[in-house]
Amino acid sequence: MWPIKFISSSIGKKIIMAVSGLLLILFLCTHALGNAAIFVSSHAFQTYANALHSLPVVVLLFGLGLLVILLFHIGFGINLFLQNRAAGGNRYAINTRVVKNSFASKTMPYTGLLILLFIIIHVFGFNNGPADMEVSQLVKEYLSNFFYSLFYIFSFCALALHLSHGFWSMLQTFGINHPRYNNGIAKLTLIVPAFFLVFFGAIALYFMSGLGASY
Amino acid sequence: MSDIDLNLQIWRQKKSDSPGAFETYALDKISTEMSFLEMLDVLNEKLTKQGLDPVAFDHDCREGICGMCGTVVNGVAHGPEKEVTLCQLHMRNFKDGDTLVIEPFRSRAFPIRKDLLIDRSAFDRIIQSGGYVSVNTGGTPDGNAIPIPAQTAELAMDAAACIGCGACVASCPNGAAMLFTSAKVSQLCLLPQGQTERKQRALDMVATMDKEGFGNCTNERECEAVCPKSISIRNIARLNREYLMAALSEG
Amino acid sequence: MELNAHIPAGPLSEKWDNHKFNSKLVNPANRRKFKIIIVGTGLAGASASATLAEQGYQVQTFCIQDSPRRAHSIAAQGGINAAKCYQTDGDSVHRLFYDTIKGGDFRSREANVYRLAQVSNSIIDQCVAQGVPFAREYGGTMANRSFGGAQVSRTFYARGQTGQQLLLGAYSALSRQIHAGRVTMYNRREMMEIVLVDGKARGIITRNIITGEIEKYSADMVLLATGGYGNAYFLSTNAMASNVTAAWRAHKKGAGFANPSFVQIHPTCIPVHGDYQSKLTLMSESLRNDGRVWVPKDVNDKRHPRDIPDAARDYYLENKYPSFGNLVPRDVASRNAKEQCDLGKGVGSTKLAVYLDFADAIKRDGQETILKKYGNLFQMYEKITDSSPLQEPMMIYPAVHYTMGGLWVDYNLMTTIPGLFALGECNFSDHGANRLGASALMQGLADGYFVISTSVANYLGTNSLKAVSTDDVAFKEARQEVENRISKLLKNSSDGPTGKVTVDEIHKEVGKLLWDNCGMARNKQGLEAALAKLPALKDKFWNSVYIPGDMKEINQSLERAGRVADFLEFAEIMVRDALAREESCGCHLREESQTEENEAKRDDANFSHVSVWEHKGEGVEPVMHKEQLVFENVTPSQRSYK
Ligand SMILES: Cc1cc2nc3c(=O)[nH]c(=O)nc-3n(C[C@H](O)[C@H](O)[C@H](O)COP(=O)(O)OP(=O)(O)OC[C@H]3O[C@@H](n4cnc5c(N)ncnc54)[C@H](O)[C@@H]3O)c2cc1C
Ligand code: HEM
Ligand code: FES
Repeated sequence: MWPIKFISSSIGKKIIMAVSGLLLILFLCTHALGNAAIFVSSHAFQTYANALHSLPVVVLLFGLGLLVILLFHIGFGINLFLQNRAAGGNRYAINTRVVKNSFASKTMPYTGLLILLFIIIHVFGFNNGPADMEVSQLVKEYLSNFFYSLFYIFSFCALALHLSHGFWSMLQTFGINHPRYNNGIAKLTLIVPAFFLVFFGAIALYFMSGLGASY
Repeated sequence: MSDIDLNLQIWRQKKSDSPGAFETYALDKISTEMSFLEMLDVLNEKLTKQGLDPVAFDHDCREGICGMCGTVVNGVAHGPEKEVTLCQLHMRNFKDGDTLVIEPFRSRAFPIRKDLLIDRSAFDRIIQSGGYVSVNTGGTPDGNAIPIPAQTAELAMDAAACIGCGACVASCPNGAAMLFTSAKVSQLCLLPQGQTERKQRALDMVATMDKEGFGNCTNERECEAVCPKSISIRNIARLNREYLMAALSEG
Repeated sequence: MELNAHIPAGPLSEKWDNHKFNSKLVNPANRRKFKIIIVGTGLAGASASATLAEQGYQVQTFCIQDSPRRAHSIAAQGGINAAKCYQTDGDSVHRLFYDTIKGGDFRSREANVYRLAQVSNSIIDQCVAQGVPFAREYGGTMANRSFGGAQVSRTFYARGQTGQQLLLGAYSALSRQIHAGRVTMYNRREMMEIVLVDGKARGIITRNIITGEIEKYSADMVLLATGGYGNAYFLSTNAMASNVTAAWRAHKKGAGFANPSFVQIHPTCIPVHGDYQSKLTLMSESLRNDGRVWVPKDVNDKRHPRDIPDAARDYYLENKYPSFGNLVPRDVASRNAKEQCDLGKGVGSTKLAVYLDFADAIKRDGQETILKKYGNLFQMYEKITDSSPLQEPMMIYPAVHYTMGGLWVDYNLMTTIPGLFALGECNFSDHGANRLGASALMQGLADGYFVISTSVANYLGTNSLKAVSTDDVAFKEARQEVENRISKLLKNSSDGPTGKVTVDEIHKEVGKLLWDNCGMARNKQGLEAALAKLPALKDKFWNSVYIPGDMKEINQSLERAGRVADFLEFAEIMVRDALAREESCGCHLREESQTEENEAKRDDANFSHVSVWEHKGEGVEPVMHKEQLVFENVTPSQRSYK
């Protein structure tokens, strides 16, 4: 069966990581788009949330899809990590990295796990808020908490770090590597993570700093 | 030209299955004109004269093309100078009093045979599983019957320059053999001669690579950084593409 | 020893076709019944292994290195010749033939050389089909360059790594057959002995380099493709494992050794820089296209080369050979460099180097153009010497590079032992007394891809061979011989190294003896002195060589010792051969045989022959036989490069 063969091959696994990574990035984009409403007003945001929840089937399917993608990404990520530790690992008395800026690539599993922790807290928090509170209020409630916000910002940093290797790596896995475009790709690999960090970070800061008080 | 004194810590291991350990040797008055392997020759002459077992290490051409030599020096495959094999590394890269920690290329797929000497036959098996164009001797068309644009020939040559030394595997945090495998797949998929078997080749070579116990690529770029022939990871991207296309249509 | 070259009848250009037609064939269905041993995986061995396996024979292939891809052929840089005449510059099979035979100073066989030129074109086609990335023109056709002073552009190349690419092509074909199960590949095996049954070659004894095991292998015939013996000199451009052992073992079992003293010394190598030096590096000959060779006129001129004005420089090649200048053939360039150094005009710390200067070329064509042509060579030079040829002249000196001599073979490439064939550099067949640039790769692949299969079929078709297994007494005896020899090598080592010598010390000693007396210029006195010194050196080796470790493990000192032991014996026939040939030809300059202008003087009346040495037993003087060379299609002429 080719799909089994494919996902058990080294490159197949990489491609699963890249595809799921890409889908997660796309999800983050839509998520960011929706959340942009926060900066307009609490009303705008609530309208958006209500519109979303008037389509429970879509939300369910979307959520399930996301969960599957995430599970794939996490599952294969951990599998790769374990396999690679067995094949490589710390096998020299002196381990020297020749490539500069290899921090992000070295820490992919760890930044990934941080993101996972964040996702759990984030999803759990917003699904288990007080029943009578509207989502727009909940956001304010949570994020006005200094430490809660700090954790969010910290997690976004982890995400940015994850993507500062992941974005380029994903394109490389898809076979996109060409001298003519590599400069552009390198720039994008800074811009994309920076965008998510700034955008999501700004939401947290918005409330954390008290600017969101009038929201 | 000058002389330097060195402190060597070398991995010594009698056989594949015996435990290994580092031994320390002091080596004085090493001319900076020497190559790294000549420095090891001097050490071995000295050990021999002391009735000790010389350090086993692989080498043959000593001009950077056969791919036989290679150790990890202070954590870097083929040592600190860029784009050279160990046999081309010269002692002027080191300073008086330096400590050099010398270890074999390590990988699950490259068992150590003795000291710094390893078994890289896994590479041969990767090639055997598809790193060729299946033509028999004779009956081939005229060389000019297959026009190949100069740029294509150059790109193929960039990939074909691989010497199979294994530094890519040795330096990869995951012990992956993607740079090696991709170099051969790239060379042949770029050239018209390689088209017929293009898909099967990618599938078979990757399958063998996985079976031999190499790790998975996570795009760490260490392989490209230590490669004595500057084989680019662009080849890996090409292999990923080849593999994907092949798996979707033939796998 | 009977020397019948078995040259086919008919006009030169039809001999090969006639021969193929008259040779016996083996039915495809029967081929799998025959086992063939091939020793060596250089161009010759790898191509032969692949081809014979494709045809259906059962092949067992052996090499010393950890992979067949690492054979010494990998190091060839410049290119490979073929008479394609893609450039329409007047080339032809006949011209390639003529150039090769003339380049060899009329000391090779017409028929063999003609066949070589004939099959040269198929080699290129074969390699292209395998995916060898030869250099291309922008229009997509194959690029050529002129090489080694040839007047036509017939050299095909893949950057400066032609040998590598051709070998990887042959290796890939070999790998395919290994995968198909038709070749059994034995890496890290060193052939130590050849086994004869009823006077025919039927197997080999090898030492497994990893386990130290002495192993026996049997077959219906044995092909040696074990390369050249340049390492007899210790320092050469050959890979470290290159040896004479396989050929020498065959010689001692009855294979004639032809022209052992014909050794090519390449003019453009990086000079020796210290006594720890292990190996010499070749700088491509193409450098002489733009570089100017000179030494200071004054022996005591200690100035930096840049500060020496033109008037104080001696561009000795340009002055002496106005029409060829810096592009004289390898032997002439080498000899003249030695002459200048002997006069005390050598440069550098050892005084054993001459300048190769690019300043004028850079001034004329610009740095960029020069770098485009030689960038990678300059870089290689700078890495080794830490000096940039853009800033100051290169220093070069000749070094041992290639051995034209080798096992004597007939037109079928069979040695004087029935069933034992020799291919590639380890035979003597095509290059006479001097090899032209880019012809060794051509010969190795011609032998392996296109010549040997005819011989194999003919041999198997004409001989009925009885079944032989490795249990045969001949194998037991041969193995015993090998074990005894190894024990003898190790006999001094039980009581420690004090008062002993190391393998390398003896190797350096014999190397220097040969270099000084049987190198670029030879004379009776020196050769006789060397011959007198060899027995003592041999005794010293056997009586006091210290080899650490034992035989049942990886023991690189033991490996080298075995090779040096054979070089020591071999050196004797090398020197004897040089002594016996009282003429100058090609690489072989006998100082007694020179023209008034100090150029090599051939003596066709007395020496138009191949000298073939026969081993007569331990301690017995070897005997020389002659194969007369007959020239029916070319007239030997005196070379002149003035
Ligand atoms: C630096 C350099 C540059 C050169 N450039 C050119 C060039 O540009 N053009 C050109 O035409 N020629 C060139 N030559 C010459 C050419 O490379 C060689 O003559 C040719 O490659 C020899 O090929 P071969 O197959 O005969 O032997 P080799 O390639 O030497 O192979 C010998 C094989 O035999 C095996 N072997 C040897 N002894 C034993 C043993 N005892 N037991 C088991 N196995 C054994 C080895 O493992 C190896 O596999 C160059 C040579 C050098 C040194
Ligand atoms: C929104 C969240 C996430 C996004 C957008 C994301 C994105 C990506 C991307 C684009 C890659 C690169 C794929 C490639 O190299 O081809 C990647 C790799 C990786 N991710 Fe994530 N990821 C996310 C969450 C996670 C989580 C929760 C984990 C949990 C373990 C994780 C673990 C990894 C690992 C280990 C890799 C490296 C795998 C490799 O290079 O082979 N990621 N991620
Ligand atoms: S010894 Fe051949 S590459 Fe170093």
